[in-house]
Amino acid sequence: METILTVEHLVREYGSRGSVTRAIDDVSFSVEKGEFVGIMGASGSGKSTLLNCVSTIDAPTAGRIFVEGREITGLKPREVSRFRRERLGFIFQDCQLLDTLTAFENIALALTIRGAAPGLVEKKVKQAAGLLEIADCMDKYPYQMSGGQRQRTAAARAMVTDPALILADEPTGALDSKSAKLLLDRFEILNRQREATILMVTHDAFTASYCHRILFLQDGAVLTRLERGDGSRRAFFRQIIDVVTRLGGDQSDVL
Amino acid sequence: MFSELAWKNVRRSVRDYGVWFLTIVFGVCLFYTFNALENQTVLRFLAQNPKTNIVESIRSLIGMLSVFVWAVLAFLILYASGFLVRRRKKELGTYLLLGMERWQVARLLLAETACIGAIALAAGLALGVLAAWALSAFTAGLFAVPMTYFTFALSVPALGKTALAFAAIFLLVMVYHAFAVSRCRLIDLLQAGRVNQALKGRSLGASVALFLLGAALLAVAYAMLLTRGLLRVDALFWVMIGLGSLGTLLFFRSLSGFLLRICQSRRGFYLKNLNLFVLRQFNARINTTYRSMTVICLMLLLAIGITASSVGLNNTVSQMAEEELPQDVSLTFYPDGEEPVDLPALLAEGGFDPGRDCAFHLAFPVFRSEAGQAVARSVYDAFAGRWGRAAADAFLEREQLAVRPDGEAQGAWVNCWIFLADYAGDKQAAEEAFQGAVTALSELGGYGYTTRLDTWMDLMGTKVLVLFIGLYLGVVFLLASAAVLALQQLTQAADAAGQYRVLSLLGAPGKMRGRAADAQVALAFLLPLALALVHAAVGMTAANAVIAEVGQVDSAASSAVTALLLAVVYGGYFLATCRGSRRLLGTGREARGA
Repeated sequence: METILTVEHLVREYGSRGSVTRAIDDVSFSVEKGEFVGIMGASGSGKSTLLNCVSTIDAPTAGRIFVEGREITGLKPREVSRFRRERLGFIFQDCQLLDTLTAFENIALALTIRGAAPGLVEKKVKQAAGLLEIADCMDKYPYQMSGGQRQRTAAARAMVTDPALILADEPTGALDSKSAKLLLDRFEILNRQREATILMVTHDAFTASYCHRILFLQDGAVLTRLERGDGSRRAFFRQIIDVVTRLGGDQSDVL
Repeated sequence: MFSELAWKNVRRSVRDYGVWFLTIVFGVCLFYTFNALENQTVLRFLAQNPKTNIVESIRSLIGMLSVFVWAVLAFLILYASGFLVRRRKKELGTYLLLGMERWQVARLLLAETACIGAIALAAGLALGVLAAWALSAFTAGLFAVPMTYFTFALSVPALGKTALAFAAIFLLVMVYHAFAVSRCRLIDLLQAGRVNQALKGRSLGASVALFLLGAALLAVAYAMLLTRGLLRVDALFWVMIGLGSLGTLLFFRSLSGFLLRICQSRRGFYLKNLNLFVLRQFNARINTTYRSMTVICLMLLLAIGITASSVGLNNTVSQMAEEELPQDVSLTFYPDGEEPVDLPALLAEGGFDPGRDCAFHLAFPVFRSEAGQAVARSVYDAFAGRWGRAAADAFLEREQLAVRPDGEAQGAWVNCWIFLADYAGDKQAAEEAFQGAVTALSELGGYGYTTRLDTWMDLMGTKVLVLFIGLYLGVVFLLASAAVLALQQLTQAADAAGQYRVLSLLGAPGKMRGRAADAQVALAFLLPLALALVHAAVGMTAANAVIAEVGQVDSAASSAVTALLLAVVYGGYFLATCRGSRRLLGTGREARGA
């Protein structure tokens, strides 16, 4: 199997000398092609910082990150934008759709930036919209759509370019349970049908139960890992709850 | 407690208030400079000349035009205030949520307005005094006015007028704020951050219909202007202005939708790079910008029109100076006694010897004949021999003289003596000698004279006035519209920073984002300019018809000067705005940090 993402001994420190906070403390893991990996942890456990480092938004203090065998730490600005538009897809908690553009245009933008041919743009956007079941709101503006539709539009924008890696930061954070389930079902289909590799950060056990594999972070370090294997999602969900309860202890916000 | 909160707010939202503050400072500066115009060095120099009653006419002209300038500035400041309230909706919503009464919030805004307004007024006046002084020095140098006339002058009436005018504008702003607060709903205020403006999707049909209606109104206004001319100010004139303004408004209102639909139908263009983003951003803002675009277009029209006409008129005036007088000096003497007068000899006694100082001179009596005042045939022939038959006929016509045979002149009753001459050698020295010699004549009778140099000075005065007021107003309007556009674009750029961050995360390279930012600034700057140029082309055709009645029109020179002014002022602002918006949007780097 092809390795998409490799993180080696990643360290990210904040603050100046004297009062250093170590947000990520020596984290290593890798993600294979077609995997759906979750990163769980309480608020402040370093999971968002980890995602930011992988997405080139933040630069690590030490350690290396490889995407498809290529090191992405220390890329030049021009290489950064090239890497983002050709290899990465982003899904944010608050969608980050452009509110002056329709859903169609929001998705199309990811392609036009890459210089795709107009005919191909329309074809691929329609395909992505069909896959994420948002074909009926292509001409709507973000504020005319429901939160779930918005987030699925963002997901369509992230996958329409066939990126090597889709990064999702708390994608269900602002959704009601029904919309969240709909979105995660779509993630599963994306993952299965398109072999999309997804790295998702969440603190919600239900959301995490859709993953194949979960890394649990606490205070910046990987505390434990959990594999779903061939078991059902329901069983996996219970396992996750167990880990969270065992780890959580005094952290009431994880449940 | 309120004043404390208000002062804290002002300090905290310096960036938001910055736009408002700059607009007011700029407006106060322009208004003062304009009203202090009569204190300008060049004009005080002209006022020394008792023959030209220029200062009085300037005073009334400024009075009329400053009302217009005031209206423009009031609109701009109200516009900036509306922008400010929109940006702070969430904050105002929080006050209401915390249990503040509406009138208390209105009072808070009032205190803030008063606070920032007072500072801005003071800063604007200080800047205005400096600007008026610098301009005075510059123009004085330009027109070669002796430096003895140049002093640092503070126009107290202009100061008072400016303070009063802006106090009135602040009052309007306060009323506007109270109105805005009393009308708003809490839910809208708190959610203002999500959708900053309602995006009304107008259909293609509506956009096309509005566009065509606007074009038709403009065509009617153009036709009226070209057939009726520029100077017939009656009821229909105002109808024409109204139609033109309304047509311009409709044009901008429908243009973005129209443009968007056309581009959308051309997929190859629409789905390329960030084109769709740029067009959508432009269209989303048109609901709030079409009014200001209209005003800016009309201000640009004024700037272009005034500059071009004043330069055109100035060249025409220069031409007239060349044609006015055929001879260098013309003296008329009314003797007290009845005995014949030898004017050349009298002048020679005073130090101006026509035999030495003149290349040619002619002295003759005007006598009473049966056909009224007349000159002798030989005099007419001499005149025509020196300055041409046409000039001789023009002279007779102007003085209402007849030509009689030489015999009739003998013993006839002489009304006056005329002395005509062209100087030899240094004309300036000869003129001074003449002016020194001619005073002696007052002991013998009354006299009057005109010299070519004198007439030239008079015309120069008119020329200075026309050019000065014209260029001044032109620059004022040009600066005002460019500054407003720059402020508007920069604040919009600040609003769009989040969107450009998303573009960076999607992988749009800095160069592409920079081009998109430039395209947005270019649309805002060039669309009003384009329509204003069309308006101006039609308007100048009408204006040139007026100038052509006085003299020959030099449209090449006026176009060149106007184009230069536009390129320097408007182009400068355009480039500065592009740079500023690129900086605000961070197109030189990739998005970092969460």
